Amino acid sequence: MDMSFKEKSHWISLVSTVCIFGYYFYNIVMLEGVPAEEAKDVAKTLLLQAIVLSILVEAVLHGMLAATNHKAAEMGADERDKLFEYRGNQVGYTILVLGVVITLGRIITLEYNPELSNFYPSRQIPLLTAHILMFSFILSEVARFSVTLFNYRRGY
Amino acid sequence: MAGIPIVNRIREKRFFADEMTQQALADKVGVTRQTIMAIEKGKYSPSLEVAFKMAEVFECHLEDIFQYQPE
Repeated sequence: MDMSFKEKSHWISLVSTVCIFGYYFYNIVMLEGVPAEEAKDVAKTLLLQAIVLSILVEAVLHGMLAATNHKAAEMGADERDKLFEYRGNQVGYTILVLGVVITLGRIITLEYNPELSNFYPSRQIPLLTAHILMFSFILSEVARFSVTLFNYRRGY
Repeated sequence: MAGIPIVNRIREKRFFADEMTQQALADKVGVTRQTIMAIEKGKYSPSLEVAFKMAEVFECHLEDIFQYQPE
């Protein structure tokens, strides 16, 4: 498959994000039913692990990619790369804003109707608001990379 | 792209420029080889800047490389 440096870079970001944060969210969902205090500690550890691992994996793989192709790494994005990134950013940003609006709506609704929280079985998941925000962010990133890569594969 | 009303003669121009490779042209105009490929196939319309750089590389007018052909 004939791929530019930037396309390979986006593939690395997409695969590492899906794998690392997929594992993270799977474990977060599995925390339902675990005692609150214990679950809070586990959730915090999982989040830190995911962030650190994500930074490490991206740095190492992008470093390897740049080492095998100095010229392309130095050149950076050309106008077509920037156009595809712009299209990806548009979709990613929309999803991120939706996530923030949903989170705000949830916070305000629960603030004025605290009795509603008793109907949420998911409230057993500790730091749920933080996880919803994190999920929105990761989903927006995945959408951003996917749309950009879709444009690369389509060719225009 | 379906419906780009611009055709080009880059391939022909490269051939007559000592069979210049896509990579060589890409280096001269500051884009990737994949972008040159996309332009040649008519899938992507380059910016005016890149189009003028190509004209400079091939030492010809812009219209000799790109022609606007509305359907």
